[in-house]
Amino acid sequence: MKQKPRVAVFDFADCEGCELEIADLEEELLDLIDIVDIVSFREVMKEHSDTYDIAIIEGSIMRPMDEQRLLRIRSKAKILVALGSCAAIGGVNKIRNQWMPDDVMKEVYGETNLKGNELFNVFRTKALNEVVPVDYYIHGCPIDRDDFKRIITALAIGKKPEIIRYPVCVECKKNENVCQFELGRFCLGPITRAGCKAICPTHNSPCDGCRGLVKKAEADCVKEVLERYHLTYEDIRRRCTMYNYGREECQVDEE
Amino acid sequence: MKQTIRVISEKNLLTFVNALIHDGTYDVVGAKARRERFGFDTLTNAGELRLDHDVTIIPPKKYFLPQYEHLMKYSLEKPFQVQPIKEEKPRIIIGMHPYDIIALEQSDLVYLDSQQDTFYKKRRENTIIIGADIQKISERSFAASMKTNVASSGFDLLLTNIGRDYAITIGSEKGAALLQKYATTKGATAADIKKIKDVRDSVAKKYKRKVKLDKKDWPAALADNYNHALWEERSDVCMECSSCTMVCPTCYCYDVRDESALNLKEGQRIRTWDGCMLKDFTRIGSGEIFREDVKERYRHRFYRKGNYLPQRYGFIACVGCGRCGIACLPDIADPCDVFNELASFGKSDDTGRYFIKQTAEVADKGEIHVPRSATIRRIQKMTDTETLYEIELDDKKPLGHTPGQFIELSIFGIGEAPFGVSSPPSKSPLFELVVRDVGNVTKKLSQMNVGDKVGIRGPFGNGFDMKMLTNKNILFTSGGLGLVPMRSLIKYVLDPQHRKDYKNIVILYGATRPNKVMFVDEIEEWKKIENVDCQLTVDKCDDGQCWTGCIGLITTLFPKIDMKKFDAKNTIAVVVGPPIMYKFVIKCLQTMGVPDGNIVVSLERRMKCGVGKCGHCQINGIYTCKEGPVFVYKDIENLPEAFE
Repeated sequence: MKQKPRVAVFDFADCEGCELEIADLEEELLDLIDIVDIVSFREVMKEHSDTYDIAIIEGSIMRPMDEQRLLRIRSKAKILVALGSCAAIGGVNKIRNQWMPDDVMKEVYGETNLKGNELFNVFRTKALNEVVPVDYYIHGCPIDRDDFKRIITALAIGKKPEIIRYPVCVECKKNENVCQFELGRFCLGPITRAGCKAICPTHNSPCDGCRGLVKKAEADCVKEVLERYHLTYEDIRRRCTMYNYGREECQVDEE
Repeated sequence: MKQTIRVISEKNLLTFVNALIHDGTYDVVGAKARRERFGFDTLTNAGELRLDHDVTIIPPKKYFLPQYEHLMKYSLEKPFQVQPIKEEKPRIIIGMHPYDIIALEQSDLVYLDSQQDTFYKKRRENTIIIGADIQKISERSFAASMKTNVASSGFDLLLTNIGRDYAITIGSEKGAALLQKYATTKGATAADIKKIKDVRDSVAKKYKRKVKLDKKDWPAALADNYNHALWEERSDVCMECSSCTMVCPTCYCYDVRDESALNLKEGQRIRTWDGCMLKDFTRIGSGEIFREDVKERYRHRFYRKGNYLPQRYGFIACVGCGRCGIACLPDIADPCDVFNELASFGKSDDTGRYFIKQTAEVADKGEIHVPRSATIRRIQKMTDTETLYEIELDDKKPLGHTPGQFIELSIFGIGEAPFGVSSPPSKSPLFELVVRDVGNVTKKLSQMNVGDKVGIRGPFGNGFDMKMLTNKNILFTSGGLGLVPMRSLIKYVLDPQHRKDYKNIVILYGATRPNKVMFVDEIEEWKKIENVDCQLTVDKCDDGQCWTGCIGLITTLFPKIDMKKFDAKNTIAVVVGPPIMYKFVIKCLQTMGVPDGNIVVSLERRMKCGVGKCGHCQINGIYTCKEGPVFVYKDIENLPEAFE
């Protein structure tokens, strides 16, 4: 049999929720280790190896030391996969980019002198692709397990995973949901990348955009919809803060 | 069958529905409240049924063409194993409105044509439709002006609320038997029958939204306004979310992909709804997108509804349900608005401008989804990027293709992709493909070995019209991969058995670089044949490459043709190459005096299903997989989407 790809899972600034989603595959986890060799996965195993083909990375990059570590991983991995919103787009970690790092430190740690402590030397939050090239993205906060399986089986089988470039509305309509706008709510589904099976609107909660945007918030169509529903650009900017701070104008199309 | 009418009291109707539910034979589905709106869903008791619903969020097409459907199971461990998916319980749908019944009758014409969709057919046969006349009008509906507010066929039973009772129009034997077995009804009086008409008339009068342009005039109105500014103006604010197509009862385009289980031992080929408003809808393996601009996609949707499908099937593919109007956030999707705007513009009788009629009906070849098992017999590297595969069908039957046709090649777990057949027709089960490593399927193929199994569907498409070529000079012009399908025709024509049927032959072939020239040895053989002139060129010769022949684009070869031997009027020019090539080559041919009716081209699009259903390969009104991929230039020179 062909040698199985060696996979390492790493994390940076995150809640480890996406890694937990992988661990939550339960008995399917046995299938996973049947098709790939997991050589490092701090959340679920003790062993660690520095030799791997695929690096799956959760979390955002907050400090120079993170940056160095990510560069080291990139140099070792043939394929680098961003896992979850924090890694793929910065996600909730970017909320703090509204303020200067020094001010944030002061707000959280007060007057404690942390100068010279490498662990507390933070810069503005970055997604992985602001530091190194990223080959594939598994979006979401947290990731969708089926989406993870789709991408990991594609990589194991040697196929390029399909990139979803259409918005959540497609999946939401297939689920026959009453549109959140019709219910008088403001939903980011129309501009957010699908792949989550429209899980939030299906459970009656408007989309918060955790999978990143497929349209710029300032696009004409968005303005038109905002106007029709008596919303303003400020409203959408604020809604985008949760996962897409500073990104409402950058529509990422991964090739 | 002649329709008869019975009457059922409201109480007995509830008893009837409960009897159907409790019997357990059927999945009994009905219109139910779904939060603030309505949707079709399985009924657990008759009380849930809402015959007074205005419109459901999505149409009942989901029961015939589900949002997500398993077409087959495959094994990745065994060389070639596919299993059909288990059968479903028979179903009864209660409360379908006339416009949805009419939409379903339309999709029957598409899915139950000579290349029947087995999955659709099985569900259709397995479903009893109990329609319901409209009681409450959806605020966006304009069905009355589309004459789709009343259905005269397409149902097994149809309920009409005539006050305290319901009238039941019996539309089929199946419906009559169901009623006989489960319901208590009485005969209808003349007054009851009159009430049905009165109820329908009074509802029809209540429609606030009306389309001013009669639907029979839609095709002509569209034909005249292809380049109107309205398409761009309206699509400027399109979200490109395809909600309009998802909720449409007459939209039935689909995508197919493979989903492997995490153990990589097995998987399922699934079919999902796709939408022509999505940018990736027309994307092909090499990355090209054929309707990249949102304006083009927006326009395409209306042309499909009001021009392309009407030309093909004879129905207007809009039933005025108003669902798209509700679903579209910027409110640009409603056909009522668009056609009312078009009503004020000029129109002519020229409706067929974007459509060509298929000359021959495609024969029924049985199951359209499941591929035939085949084995790779020979692999020959042609260039650094192109490889030839000789494939043998495991049932040892010949492929049965004509030159110019294509097949769909499956690698389970990866997916399916179309390829032109490169070998001439043959009685053996062997045939050849030449593949460039660009997408997932081709990449996987490049890693496979002799003896490995693949799946084959087809042949599909029309192929070259061999009669047209008889007793004519033939001028072959091919660029790059275009030589692959053309080789099938060249080899057929040059076969000593057939050579006498054709006059002088010129073969022009251009490649980008010397190391990209394919079939070098065969071309040398062709050159030796009497009255065959074969000219090659490369776009450029890089340092270190060896090339003693012509350098320049394919068009530089035309002056080299010996015009003394070549009567342009008596010549058929066959052109196959990358999209960019056609414009220039066709210009050369026209300059030489070759009439447009003598120019034959083969076009590439995203042929996904091969049987004119999935919608991906459409060029304006035509399906590349059915009317093409081979076209006479004269037939398609006016199709705006053909040579963009």
